[in-house]
Amino acid sequence: MVGRKSVLLVAVALLAAGCGGGGDESDDGMVVVPFGFVGPLSGGAAYYGRNVLRGLEMAAEEIAANGGFVIDGQAHRFEVVTADDRYLPYETATATRRLLQQEQMSTILVPHAGGIRAVQEMNLNEPRFLLMAYSSEPSILEAQNPLQIMLPPRFDGYQEPFVRVLMGRFGTRLALLGTTTAYGRAWTEHVSAEWTRRGGTVGGNHGVDYNTTTDFTGAVSRALADDPDVLFIGGPSQPTALVIRAAREQGFQGGFLIMDQAKFMEMLQIVSMEALEGAVGVYPQELYPTEGTPGWVARYYERFGEDAPPATSEVAINYQGLHLLARAMEIAGTTEDPDAIRAAFGEAARTIDDDLRIFDMNGVTEGGHLARAVFAAHVLNGEFIAEPIPVPGGTELR
Amino acid sequence: MITRSVAIGVPLLAAILFPLVVDNAYLVSVAVTAYVTAIAVYGLDILLGYTGQLSLAHAGFFGVGGYAVGILTSDYGLSFWSALPLALALTALLGHLIGLAALRTRHDYFAIFTLAVGVMIVIVIERWESLTGGTDGLIGIPAPTSIGPLSFASLNAQYYLVLAFLVLTIYVVWALMHSLVGRTFLAVRNSEELARAVGIDTGRTHQLSFVISATLAALGGALYATFLGSIGPDVGDVPMTFNMLVYLMIGGVASLPGPLVGTILIMGLMQALTAFQEYSMMILGPILVLVVIFFPQGLAGQGRVLANKVLGRSGDA
Amino acid sequence: MTLFLQQLVNGVALGSVYALVALGLTLVYGVLKVPNFAHGALYMMAAYVVYVALTAVEAPYVVAIAAAIVAIGVLGGAMELVVFRHLEGKTPVHMMIAALGVLFFLEGTADVVWGPDFRPVPTPLDGVVSAFGVNITEQRILVIVAAVATMVGLYTLLKRTLVGMSIEALAQDREGALLVGIDTKRVALLTFAISGVLAAIAGSLIAPLVLVFPLMGAVVILKAFVIVILGGMGSVPGAIIGGYLLAIAETMAGTYVAFAFSELIAFALLVLVLVFRPTGLFTKGT
Repeated sequence: MVGRKSVLLVAVALLAAGCGGGGDESDDGMVVVPFGFVGPLSGGAAYYGRNVLRGLEMAAEEIAANGGFVIDGQAHRFEVVTADDRYLPYETATATRRLLQQEQMSTILVPHAGGIRAVQEMNLNEPRFLLMAYSSEPSILEAQNPLQIMLPPRFDGYQEPFVRVLMGRFGTRLALLGTTTAYGRAWTEHVSAEWTRRGGTVGGNHGVDYNTTTDFTGAVSRALADDPDVLFIGGPSQPTALVIRAAREQGFQGGFLIMDQAKFMEMLQIVSMEALEGAVGVYPQELYPTEGTPGWVARYYERFGEDAPPATSEVAINYQGLHLLARAMEIAGTTEDPDAIRAAFGEAARTIDDDLRIFDMNGVTEGGHLARAVFAAHVLNGEFIAEPIPVPGGTELR
Repeated sequence: MITRSVAIGVPLLAAILFPLVVDNAYLVSVAVTAYVTAIAVYGLDILLGYTGQLSLAHAGFFGVGGYAVGILTSDYGLSFWSALPLALALTALLGHLIGLAALRTRHDYFAIFTLAVGVMIVIVIERWESLTGGTDGLIGIPAPTSIGPLSFASLNAQYYLVLAFLVLTIYVVWALMHSLVGRTFLAVRNSEELARAVGIDTGRTHQLSFVISATLAALGGALYATFLGSIGPDVGDVPMTFNMLVYLMIGGVASLPGPLVGTILIMGLMQALTAFQEYSMMILGPILVLVVIFFPQGLAGQGRVLANKVLGRSGDA
Repeated sequence: MTLFLQQLVNGVALGSVYALVALGLTLVYGVLKVPNFAHGALYMMAAYVVYVALTAVEAPYVVAIAAAIVAIGVLGGAMELVVFRHLEGKTPVHMMIAALGVLFFLEGTADVVWGPDFRPVPTPLDGVVSAFGVNITEQRILVIVAAVATMVGLYTLLKRTLVGMSIEALAQDREGALLVGIDTKRVALLTFAISGVLAAIAGSLIAPLVLVFPLMGAVVILKAFVIVILGGMGSVPGAIIGGYLLAIAETMAGTYVAFAFSELIAFALLVLVLVFRPTGLFTKGT
């Protein structure tokens, strides 16, 4: 009995001692630069976290395979170091602290608004680090954090084109059936405001939590009882597709206004293009009308296999983000000074290679938002029609 | 007497030296989390170990204590030292009210009743966004203010403060169990009918045990929120209760070192397993089953049985 | 009125699944006094078996269901053999910790094998039937019909067969059952296997309607516990009536109050009932 117990204790101690570490120069002669990722790798949002991570790892491997990025004649490559926060903002701070304790690093990426807010003060104290913020929640810019780069488009740009297209095609009655997370509720408010501003009527909010709901039929029946022309829906892609399926099964003929969290290519794994007729959402990343897209999509499936999850914007934006960081470090001439790297981001966005232009970018706004050209997709007669999306909040670039 | 002072002195000395020896902020913060959790696990033991009822709302009270301190300090500008007693009083009151209803039931019914209460506490926390910050949780909860020359700004100072609260908790539990009240607890656990026959007000005993248990949970939660600087609804959710229950059962119920041993061991194991992130649950599950089958008294309980055997004493608590 | 009827149909379909899950739970709880928190993981595993059978193997749906029943029935029996057999005479809290251990193991295994992704299962029956303005998919009709058939089957098994009667005998009086020569070990094994079969039927019926992921059992199992306590531990009619009532109450509360609050219904209901009837609705006095 005692033997077994002490074996366990020794095992624990050994395992604990085995954690941590990490060197500087590797066998290939490149300097290894640690890059932190603090996001959900287990729990309900792990699928999302692993999408983001796939983009980062793909970029890190490419950079290394192409000989690294060069500072003062010395080649560097990234090593992505991860910490799981299970999508819980209050764990993001703890996990970030753990990463910083294990290894010194100048850049950490956090892929959700709550977690970003939780580390926004931390990155200005020693050890300072550049916070790469992957969240389309514009309120993360309010802190005016000088060491933050917001990567994705702001979600408050989507409502205007989404509402314009759908109200024009289907009519003026909107029913609300979005997810009830904080992000979902913020979206619901914005879309309701835009719909009313254009003279439409908004029915009651029948939203449910897309992550915990087993059966959506009840909520869909209730929303359809208001006889809407358009349904506002959205949460993670897969449950969103279930909502679409339930609505079509119950005879709904109108349009879907889909929150940016849901991606067409992932929904198409569950519902047909026919069911999506009259839907408006973010443009499918694999079909993006930009120079860098076809090559990137080919490389993605080559790397992760034909059966890999669709190459969504979650992968694309973070993939491009890490390439931008490498470019910014080259321009700044440092891998360690977060202020200098942050200052070089605008130029990096303008001078990055053409085959990395999955999005067209021309700089960074005053508040630290990486401005990029993005499109909405309108499903019309079985085709994705591109609609440009305006960038709200001004685009004075540096 | 000598064995007792060794049993108390050695772990205490080890705890005092720990931050100085490891000199690693991350490990110290893990220890802080383990200590505050252990305080709540002592609360769970009061109810389960000493009066024989299982509350699955325990993490709910942990959450209420944490949110109360967090809201009072960051939104109302109170100092930690005035917010803490308020938070404890608030949770004790809430525990009292819930106890009045919950303790109409016993055993399995009580467990499931409190399960429902636990779920509802979390839903209220998530939905009362203006007060609690909803699913994002509260961030930026300030560290305790200085008392005279004692400042709690540094991590090590916070570690020692939490350690002091832990030692105080263990002392209170020990003193309680050696008091008349503690003996009525045990009498009620062993046989409610017998206890009633000798004139014990069993209803009041259960109620008292439940309130003390909830208050200790709140103390743990309040310290958790303060020393981690943030708290979220998951901290009060049922899976967190399950975690605490696992710590308690692995350590050993109704044993003074049990809650601490179980908490440190399993939390340490989970930290060690972060290297095997994906597999950690696959490994933890069978360990739990094995411990329950082979060490039903928990590891500390098993240790006591062994010690008694070695020292040639009878194995009574 | 159409809305009311539509929601009633929706509630009955959902209630069929609740009832099947609660039935498996109440058997093990009532007969063996094991609060099996891992029961939801059996339901989850069954859904994965159907997923693999339909996508990787491309088997017909009937074969997929049969595979799930066999696999999860065996898994249920194995749980008894490997874990709970060794806990006889221990407190319910010990059983609960062991069940949590099994739960962690199964959820962890699913996460390692299939990842945390939401997996869509192809719908074998994707037609829609409409009558009186009410729409219901063929899959949901199958859920309701198969659930009722399962319940009738279970009832027959318990009341008309020797195996069933020995299970009931064990539930009522363990020592008595032992005295009249019932092999309690064998009955315990069978009870767990039957419980696994019930979870398998529920999981394989609902799989094409929902998304399959490692934590899919977590929400359902809590509701199943509520149903079992309200309906009375070990009570077959209690689990069935409780399952349907809860699902209909949730759907109606969602429709006429707000769906955001329907997840509260189960727990609020339980608290209210237990305050006034501390030993549940259908208990015959203990």
